[in-house]
Amino acid sequence: MVNFDPNLRWGAQAPAAFGGPGALPHVASPTAPASGTGTAKPDFLSAIEAAGKYVSKVDDLQQASDASIQDLLTGKNNDITAVVSAVAKADVSFKVLVGVRNKLIEAYKQTMNMPL
Amino acid sequence: MTVHNAFGPVDIAVSGMRAQGRHMEVISSNIANSRTADAGQGQPYRRLEVIFRTEQEGVSPVCIDQIVPDQSALQRIYDPGNPKADASGHIILPNVHVPVEMMNLSTASRSYQANAAILKRYQKMVETTLELLR
Repeated sequence: MVNFDPNLRWGAQAPAAFGGPGALPHVASPTAPASGTGTAKPDFLSAIEAAGKYVSKVDDLQQASDASIQDLLTGKNNDITAVVSAVAKADVSFKVLVGVRNKLIEAYKQTMNMPL
Repeated sequence: MTVHNAFGPVDIAVSGMRAQGRHMEVISSNIANSRTADAGQGQPYRRLEVIFRTEQEGVSPVCIDQIVPDQSALQRIYDPGNPKADASGHIILPNVHVPVEMMNLSTASRSYQANAAILKRYQKMVETTLELLR
């Protein structure tokens, strides 16, 4: 029986592999008003930062899948299963990113629409 | 290769697809050369067999350990008109039996399909998990 780890490990590792700041403008933008309102928001901010760091990992996988497709089309590599593998990984990780991003934006909007 | 991550099933299924593709390559070589009386050095072609092994202990992708020639007896067929026939009119042909190769081909192609199905099903599983985010 395969011991399937439900915790997405590469998602959890993402903060360790922090690439560069400002990698995700469309997700990072809600942080400006959020951080300006007070010090009670570091949790939401860190969640967004984690998502921003995950972006560079997703981008690496997308680049790898693009490169493998290029190699296949130019005849540098005949292994179509490598392309399948790279594309599947890029697809899954991108879907995870989009899901997390949508959830974060939804949370931000709900917070901003709260009547005060 | 780390297996205990979210891409483990992808890597393992793809390794299975790659290994079965290689197996199919060997089978096609066997079938193409089922009547090859000279495979270099004047010897008839010998049927090749694939041996698989795991990449590591426990949960692991598959890889091809080695491709070895089948050392079973070669076929001896009576064909006096053949220029390669010996004094008694026999020629030596490869030990390839096409029905056996067809069975191996079915096994390889079904196994390939099974690995592809695993890949597809795993992607669906991840999508189901992401549905919960919505």
